[in-house]
Amino acid sequence: MRKIIAIWTAKLASRFAKLLGKNGSSMPGTIALKICPDILSRMCNDIEKDIIAVWGTNGKTTTNNMIYTVLDNGKNRIVCNKVGSNMLSGVAAAFISYSTLSGKVKADYACLEMDEAYARIILQYLTPTKIVITNLFRDQMDRYGEIDTTISYIQKALDKAENAVLILNGDDPLTASLGKNYKNTVYYGISKNLGLNLNETREGRYCRFCGTELKYDFYQYGQLGMYRCEKCGFKRPKPQYDGENITIGDHVSFDVNSTHVDLPCKGVYNIYNALAAFALADSCGMDKEEIAEGLERYKGQTGRMEEFHIGGKLVVFNLAKNPAGFNQSIGNIISEKRTKDVIIGINDNDPDGNDVSWLWDVDFEKLNNDTIKSYTAAGIRAKDMGVRFKYCDIDETKITVCDDMKQNIINAVKGEGECVYIVVNYTLLFSTKKILSELEGEL
Amino acid sequence: MKLRIAHLYPDLLNLYGDIGNMTTLKKRCEWRDISVQIDPIYGNEKISFTDYDLVFLGGGSDREQLLVRDKLIKMKKELTAYVNDGGVLAAVCGGYQLLGSYYKLENETIEGLEILNIQTEVGKTRLISDVVIENEQFGTIVGFENHGGRTYINEHTPLGKVLYGSGNNGTDGNEGVIYKNVIATYLHGSLLPKNPKLADHIIKLMLEQRGLPSELKPLDDTIENNAHQYIIDRFVKK
Repeated sequence: MRKIIAIWTAKLASRFAKLLGKNGSSMPGTIALKICPDILSRMCNDIEKDIIAVWGTNGKTTTNNMIYTVLDNGKNRIVCNKVGSNMLSGVAAAFISYSTLSGKVKADYACLEMDEAYARIILQYLTPTKIVITNLFRDQMDRYGEIDTTISYIQKALDKAENAVLILNGDDPLTASLGKNYKNTVYYGISKNLGLNLNETREGRYCRFCGTELKYDFYQYGQLGMYRCEKCGFKRPKPQYDGENITIGDHVSFDVNSTHVDLPCKGVYNIYNALAAFALADSCGMDKEEIAEGLERYKGQTGRMEEFHIGGKLVVFNLAKNPAGFNQSIGNIISEKRTKDVIIGINDNDPDGNDVSWLWDVDFEKLNNDTIKSYTAAGIRAKDMGVRFKYCDIDETKITVCDDMKQNIINAVKGEGECVYIVVNYTLLFSTKKILSELEGEL
Repeated sequence: MKLRIAHLYPDLLNLYGDIGNMTTLKKRCEWRDISVQIDPIYGNEKISFTDYDLVFLGGGSDREQLLVRDKLIKMKKELTAYVNDGGVLAAVCGGYQLLGSYYKLENETIEGLEILNIQTEVGKTRLISDVVIENEQFGTIVGFENHGGRTYINEHTPLGKVLYGSGNNGTDGNEGVIYKNVIATYLHGSLLPKNPKLADHIIKLMLEQRGLPSELKPLDDTIENNAHQYIIDRFVKK
C-alpha cells in the first residue's frame, strides 16, 4: 500500500511540475523515496530480461541512451533514466514514470545510468545483471576526494553484483583493472593508434596493482591507449569488441566484428560509447545488423553538439563536465574551419563540483587561434574562466567576463565570427538550452 | 638571464590544477620580459637543486604522494641545504605535508622530509571548501582546500589566518607555513592565478636569490583581482 501511495503522490507531483514548466526529472523519485524508502527493490523485480547499469565519468548519458535506442526496436519495453538524473532519486523516478498506477512495471529491460559514487547505494535496492563502465577520468574531485576514492566506491558496488556481466573499456587502465577479479568480463576498445596527438592531463598512469609506471605504445586520448605494466604483467586486455576501419569527420563510422556502424554524431569518444552499446546489445542476444541500425537511429541529447540557428547564425552547443570533456569540445571547436565567437560557461554548484581548479588542467591554450573572434567567460565562475583565458595569452580586448548568459549569447550572435560555439558544464546545461530555444524563436 | 623552475614530478603531483601555478609564474615573468624555463622533473634521477631558482611541489593522491616521498627522501640532505641557503620552495597540499616530520595514517606513519617542524595526522573527514586567509604582507589570499590530513605547525609562522574555510586543521585558525623562502599551503585553486601579489612575491624572491634587481614592472591585474575579490565577497561576511 505504501508503494502505491508513493507512486501516486510522485506521479501527481510530476504532473504539477510539468504544468509549472520545471525540469525536475528526479523530483518525483525524491518524493516517492520519502514515502517508501525501499520502493526500488519492490519495483525492479518485474523486469523480465536485464537490469543494465551504466557507470563511468564521461559518456554515461550518451552510452545509456545509445543502449536504449538499440534495444528500443519495437519489441522491447524499457525503463530508462534518459535525461541523466543518475542518483537514487533519478533511478526511482524512471521506474515510477514507467509504472502503472497499481505499481506494476511491465518491462523487458531497465537501462540505468548511475553516478559512480551513488551506485553502491542504488545497488542496495536492485542488482544489475549487466554493468557497463565507460571510463574513469578526473571528475568532480571535491565531491569524492580523489579518483582512488571513486574506484573504491565502484569496487564496493561491484561486490554487490558479483554475477553481473561486466562490459569494460579495456583501453582505460583504471576501468580495465576493475575486471581483474570477476568471471564474466567483456572488453571493448580500439587497437589501432588513431594518432590524435592531444596534449592533456592523464590520470592513473601507474599500475593499480603494483604502483609501477605503465608503459604506453600509444595514447588515444586521456589515459586511454595501449598500455602494459612491465613489473606485474597487467596489460590492456585484448578486446572482444575492437573498433576497426575508423573514420572521423562530421560523422564517425567504424567496423566491429565485421559489422559496419555509421554514427550520426561527431567525436572519437562516441566510437567508444557506441562500442560499449554494441557489446551490451550483443550480450543481450540482439542481431548484429539490428544493433548497427539502432545506433544509426541514435539522436544526440541536449548539449551534445546540439545545433541552433539564431539570427541567421549557426550556434553549436556542447556540454563538458571535466578536463577530458572540455579537451574534446576544444578539439571540436578548432576543427571548425569557419570563424567563430566562443562562450565558455563554468558553474560550481554541487553537481558541477565546487572546486574549479581543473580549469587549469584543460588545454584552453589551443583556443588561442586567429579563427576565434571573441572569448566570453560565463557562469557563476565567469571570473575564474576570465583569468584562465588571460593566461592563455589571449588578447585581453577579445575577452569578456559576464555571468548573464542571455546577453552573452545575443552579443556572440552579433559578433564578427561566422558561427558561435558554446561549451558549458552541467548545471548550466538546461538553463542555457532554454535561452537558446527562446532566442531561436525570437531572433 | 633566465629564471629556472623545477616542477617536481608533475606526472604524480598534479591533482589540483597545479600546472596553473606554473603557467602563472611563467606568464607574469614573460609579460615583464623576464625569461623563464620550467623543467618538469620525472623519474628517479638526482636533482641538482642549486641549478634552480624555485622548486615547486604540487598535490597528489596518498598513493602518488608516497611514491614522491620515496624519491625525495634520497635527496633529503640536498633539499634541506637548498632551503637553508635561502632557496625558494613552494609546496601545495600533498607537497606541503611531505615537508613535515610525518604524516600519520590509520595504519601507518609516513616519514617526511623534516624540512619543517610540522606534523600531519589523518582526520575522519576531508576538509573541502573555498578558503580565504589573511597575511600581513600580501593581504588576503584565496583558494580551495581538499585534504584529509590535519597539520599542526608548532612554532612556525602560518602563511595566514583563516577568514573562511578550515586551514591547517580546522581548529587553530592557521593556514600554511611561511619559513625562510619556503611557502607551503593547503590552498590550490590554482593558488597563484587569483593571488597575483603572492605570485609576484615568489618572482621577487627568485630574482633576489639570483642577486638580480627585484623591482617588478607593474601589470594590469584587473581580471585577476576581480576573480580574487569575488571569492571574498561570496564567502567572507562583511
